[in-house]
Amino acid sequence: MNSKLKMWIGGFIILVFGAIAFTVFSESKIEYVDFKEAEKRLRKVEVKGYWQKDKETKFDGNTNTFVFYMKDDSNTEMKVIYEGAKPNNFEVAEAIVVKGKIKDGNFLASDILTKCPSKYEASPEDIKKES
Amino acid sequence: MLGKFLIYSATICAVLSIVSFLLVHFGKEKFLKFGRTFYNIAAASVIGASAFLLFIILDHQFQYTYVWEQSNRELGLALLISTFYSGQEGSFMLWTFMTAVIGIFLMRYLGKGDRLEPQVMAVFSLVLGFLTFILILKSPFNYVWDSFAGEVEYGFIPQDGRGLNPLLQNFWMSIHPPTLFVGFSSMAVPFCFAVATLMKNRYKDWINFALPWLLFSGGILGLGIMMGGYWAYGVLGWGGYWAWDPVENSSFIPWLIIVAAIHTMVAQKRTGGYKKTNLILCISAYLLVLYSTFLTRSGILGDSSVHSFVDPGQEVYLSLIVFISSFILISLLAFILRFKELKNLNAEPNKLLTRESALFVGALTLCASAIVILAGTSWPIIAKGSIDIEFYNKMNLPIAIMIAFINGMSLLLKWKTSDEKTFFKGLIFPLILASIVTVGLVIVGVRDFLFAIFALAALFSFFVNAEIAVRVFKKQRDNVGAYIAHIGLALLFLGIIASSKYSKDENITLEINKPVSAFGYTMTYIGASTFEDPNNRKDTKYHFNILLEKDGKEMVLKPVMYYSSFSEGVMKNPDIANFSTKDLYISPMGLVEPEVFGDTDMVVFKKGEIKQIGDVNVEFIDFDMGNMTPGGEEIQSGNFEIGAKIKVKDSKYTETLLPKIKYVEGNPEYFETKMSGNSNYSFYFVKMNIVGEDQGGATATLAIVDNRTKQPKEGDVTAESLIINASIKPFINILWAGTIILVMGFFISIIKRKKEIVS
Repeated sequence: MNSKLKMWIGGFIILVFGAIAFTVFSESKIEYVDFKEAEKRLRKVEVKGYWQKDKETKFDGNTNTFVFYMKDDSNTEMKVIYEGAKPNNFEVAEAIVVKGKIKDGNFLASDILTKCPSKYEASPEDIKKES
Repeated sequence: MLGKFLIYSATICAVLSIVSFLLVHFGKEKFLKFGRTFYNIAAASVIGASAFLLFIILDHQFQYTYVWEQSNRELGLALLISTFYSGQEGSFMLWTFMTAVIGIFLMRYLGKGDRLEPQVMAVFSLVLGFLTFILILKSPFNYVWDSFAGEVEYGFIPQDGRGLNPLLQNFWMSIHPPTLFVGFSSMAVPFCFAVATLMKNRYKDWINFALPWLLFSGGILGLGIMMGGYWAYGVLGWGGYWAWDPVENSSFIPWLIIVAAIHTMVAQKRTGGYKKTNLILCISAYLLVLYSTFLTRSGILGDSSVHSFVDPGQEVYLSLIVFISSFILISLLAFILRFKELKNLNAEPNKLLTRESALFVGALTLCASAIVILAGTSWPIIAKGSIDIEFYNKMNLPIAIMIAFINGMSLLLKWKTSDEKTFFKGLIFPLILASIVTVGLVIVGVRDFLFAIFALAALFSFFVNAEIAVRVFKKQRDNVGAYIAHIGLALLFLGIIASSKYSKDENITLEINKPVSAFGYTMTYIGASTFEDPNNRKDTKYHFNILLEKDGKEMVLKPVMYYSSFSEGVMKNPDIANFSTKDLYISPMGLVEPEVFGDTDMVVFKKGEIKQIGDVNVEFIDFDMGNMTPGGEEIQSGNFEIGAKIKVKDSKYTETLLPKIKYVEGNPEYFETKMSGNSNYSFYFVKMNIVGEDQGGATATLAIVDNRTKQPKEGDVTAESLIINASIKPFINILWAGTIILVMGFFISIIKRKKEIVS
């Protein structure tokens, strides 16, 4: 096989693979948005916000979901339904990031990340505590 | 001071070693022994500094910030040792240590023949120099009074340290990071060989003595990655062995490249081709190690990973950038300077149906996978947002199918020229065998088209390799390594198919003592029990015992949850029932206790106040502080108990009750109190409210629940319930067996390739 033909075949394969990668890539992008934007998207998105302590927060034993209310940076509040139990560090989290999409006015979260104040950072107060 | 002094000495000697070896390269032969001596002193200094760090850790010298931050007096020996590398400074120290030690072996190895010693060691000393320089900026030997200057007085020695992050308090912490760092450090060797080759302008023989090092890197890094996977699966409770987390990806990408390089090197050995490919792959593997370090250490991915990253500070961030860019620059410069020679290296064009072409295509496929993962992992730096992990799965599935097919086919092809007829004939038998098994799998339930093809490809590769392995094992035992590695890979692929696509999982709420059936098992949550952890006596750890029954056989699984005072959150560990054909994997998700009272049941009392609630009359007499000291230190600590004395009258009786509230680590626990003659009402003491003396002192909030009207709402939990995520992971044992066999293959191959250069 001559090298020119080989180059053409190789180039073609790379092109096809690149095109597939690009398509899958743009499908898999999860954008960081607020609730209002999330409503316009049909895809999975990420929303950062704050837990509303005074609103209903409970685990529903029938549906195995954890339900709470969250307010985003632009002050839109929404009910979040998470498939699972209350995540680690939920109460102490500074902010919460939910991944999922909006359905019937509720945010269905498939994933919750809790952002904690960086307690791994040492401070002089900690040192004094030990003395 | 000793630690810092040794680091400075290492840096200076590394620089002197670079200069000496470069002089040798430019013809001043007599500087060789200087180069060697300086390298040895640099390595000895690094080893000395590491020994010193280990000593101050074991000796609990908490005046060192790093020791205070990472360890405490409670940790057992194994975990205490692992605090050596649990923090950023220490893990750079470990990396430097491993690099220094590998360099000692490397230098002896190079001295055994004409093996580009001055060139390789000049570049290697540069690597060591950079690492020690980072240790100057990010030193584990700072005193607390320097770290917190002005806030902690000079000479202050803390009594105890902060302790090790509970996530890391685990057996795997003792072996996973060191293994990974040996892998990372050893990746510098192929890089140095490639740059040295360009310096020396001699492109033929370097692969012979570089190949065993590549196999070592690939094997050890593979082992490290595998251990990380098991740690995540068995202990951390990620639910799986691979989550495409940035930290996992960043060790996996260089591994893919080095594996690709191993294959094209073998091709160069046999045919003389692929010289440029090998140089590029060996160089990019280490550049990718550095890039990943940058990704995971610089804090820029802090938002998108489960690993917690601490921002290492501006200097380290910049020095990492300088480290990477100078190495990219050196590599580019070397390529540009040798452009003419490299251009003329073209070997004779080879035919498509040959072993070498197949190896090359296979290597390209591995690189494609690396590029895909690299793009996904780097995405959060480029744009706001992240990449769904489905991206990695979708892209790597077709790549893995290709890799398995190419692997099987390449072994049926001959070097340089293949007879087409024999090749196609050779395909028939393994393909038929693989098809039969695949049809079986489809009948059993593998219905997804791509997964069925993947299974076919993996089985094809398995049968080809198994047949050759048996044949080779009888004749030349040494040569069996590659085939063993491939068999491992095929098994790993089959394990991935079974355990990813065909694992089932379900969130289950287990009410205490109430059997629930799932996946053919009967599960009953039989309550929690505490247990002792000798490494962590600060926190109370609980086993949440689940009785598992099937066909009259019983076993108890004990997933763990506890409140960690270090992380200020709940830690959860899964428990796994390992059967020969599957794992039953139980992740605890939370414990829900029924809400005993609602907002409408709350009543606030002043001292001496009398209120009529329904058909009872309640008077709040006073608080009962028990034996607490007034003003109570106990309240500060968050562990205390108080009561509210009340007098309750109904139509017949008058009783004095003392409902109590108990705080454990700041979390309240309420106790139901009832009248002995009237069970219609339950009384709970909920809160003591501190108000000024002018308003009549403290008030008490009581919850008074009318049990006749109390109705649970839809979906409310009515008894203590454990929520778990239970899953079945079919044939996960094949996956672990596959990874172990794969790694074994690498090490068997090292023996063979070493023998080849000696002979």
